[in-house]
Amino acid sequence: MSPLRTERSGRFLLHLVLGAGSLLMIVPFVWMLLSSVKNRADIAAYPPKILPTEWLWSNYPEAMGFAPFGTYFRNSLTIAVGHTALNLVVASMAGYALARIAFRGRTLIFFGVMTMMMIPTYTKIVPQYLIAKSVPFFGGNDWLGRGGTGWLDSWWALIIPGALTPFAIFLFRQFYLALPKELEEAARIDGMGEFGIFARVMTPLVKPAIATVALLTFEGSWNNFLWPLLVTTSDELRVVQVGLAAFQQAERTEWAYLMAGSALATLPMIVLFLFTQRYFVQGFATAGIK
Amino acid sequence: MTAVLERRKALRRKDRGRRRVAALMLAPAVIHLVWWIGIPVVSTFVLAFLQYDIFAGTAEWVGFDNFARIFSDDVWNASIWHTLVYTFFTVPVAMVIAAVVAVLLNVKMRARAWYRAAFFLPHVTATVAIALVWMWMFEPRIGLFNALLEMVGVTGPAWLADPDWAMTSVIVVSIWKGIGVKMLIYLAALQSIPHELYEAADLDGASGPRKFFSITLPLLKPATFFVFVVSMIDAFQVFDQVYILTPDGGPANSTTVMTYEIYQAAFGRFDISTASAQSVVLFGFLMVLTVISRRLTGKDDSHVSS
Repeated sequence: MSPLRTERSGRFLLHLVLGAGSLLMIVPFVWMLLSSVKNRADIAAYPPKILPTEWLWSNYPEAMGFAPFGTYFRNSLTIAVGHTALNLVVASMAGYALARIAFRGRTLIFFGVMTMMMIPTYTKIVPQYLIAKSVPFFGGNDWLGRGGTGWLDSWWALIIPGALTPFAIFLFRQFYLALPKELEEAARIDGMGEFGIFARVMTPLVKPAIATVALLTFEGSWNNFLWPLLVTTSDELRVVQVGLAAFQQAERTEWAYLMAGSALATLPMIVLFLFTQRYFVQGFATAGIK
Repeated sequence: MTAVLERRKALRRKDRGRRRVAALMLAPAVIHLVWWIGIPVVSTFVLAFLQYDIFAGTAEWVGFDNFARIFSDDVWNASIWHTLVYTFFTVPVAMVIAAVVAVLLNVKMRARAWYRAAFFLPHVTATVAIALVWMWMFEPRIGLFNALLEMVGVTGPAWLADPDWAMTSVIVVSIWKGIGVKMLIYLAALQSIPHELYEAADLDGASGPRKFFSITLPLLKPATFFVFVVSMIDAFQVFDQVYILTPDGGPANSTTVMTYEIYQAAFGRFDISTASAQSVVLFGFLMVLTVISRRLTGKDDSHVSS
């Protein structure tokens, strides 16, 4: 065979393997969407029909009638946006200070941030719950944090503990570190204050870091399950993932509605990911940590 | 003379000003990290040695009693075994698939971004929602898998409801979900291999497989260590898919994992001391595994992550 022919058949084989693999990977998503618009007879049919006999889009509004998915959605969105905004502000400031300002204890604090990145969830989650429960003066607590429920079942518990990730600080520091020193010196000669240099000169130059941190924070927050499951009890404060789990426990066999709910819970992230792949890839490749 | 002194003073004042700004910029982050990570981590280790009653608010030092008690609990010991089995099968299988896909994707070609997206998609979608979809596919009577199996003449098991198959089902879901992020790390590592190495090998007349085994594979070692440690830490902490796919520890407690037992102890029975002791054991496992894998693969992992 000529080299060109081998090259071409190699390409073909490559596309064949990757194409088949990709198809296998998205089977669950396809099956979710197809099942979400099937009628009862199609769902119960055996062997299952691949395509629905009628495309029952009304499953979506009906599923939303079974459980307040609108509320769940709004809650998840509020929390994800809140976490993203807070993480961007707090982590960028900290990352900047660690990267660009010399002060005693800087190495120690950076080492602390690195260590905290590696702390497993289960080494902190129980005390986190206890801390949320015993915030003084909230939820009927006295000044020692006793007697009431503190932040449990409130927006505080849903937003504050997850508002900062050590990884975001780390990522911002790496990006600020790479900026040339001349920039801040020029701004300083122009009489700009230190905070102004951070906010108006340096931060506009780390847009990729902003995008990466924003997307990873949003994703982590939207998909988070355990913490909202622990700290919320009332239906009005449930997030999509917890609401979906509760819905499943209540309506075990309503597969079409369950698939519609799953589709609603996953589609925002899928769309966001497909449009911003580059930053996701960058973020996960630099750390590989959620 | 005085002018120089004045300038120095001004400089020092400026330095002090900068340090004050640094302190202000760091304060919110440091307070948050100490509050929600530092104190909780220390508390876990302290609580593991206390008999703490969450309702009465009383605490008493009991030494290693909590540890002695949890290891006399058969369900906890079983959960350790399940976690090990889960990790043992999930991590290597997903890593091999991820490495192969990454090597294949490290070629310039059409539709590459789409392939990458397909493999990565399971990672960005919520575990809860996607676990429900798998549950539906695993449905024993009318689910997709058993229908496909029947087409080839095999009667499928009850999957999640069968004690012999429940863990396998959970592992399959986790492998599917875990390929994407491992693949991305491998892909980043592959792209950081200098091109000159391959060009030099070409000049020496090295074959494709030879290049792969002599250049690519050795240079993927640090990435492999990194992926291995991160995946293991993740696998040991699996919770969402286990909780959704096999509620209450699965059929005959066949899928209960360490995290589920911690969850049950802390938030089902409000037995904080037991849960803390169990968390310390989990932490110990992760420490030991990290150290062992570091020994096995050498210490050259430092430059991968940053």
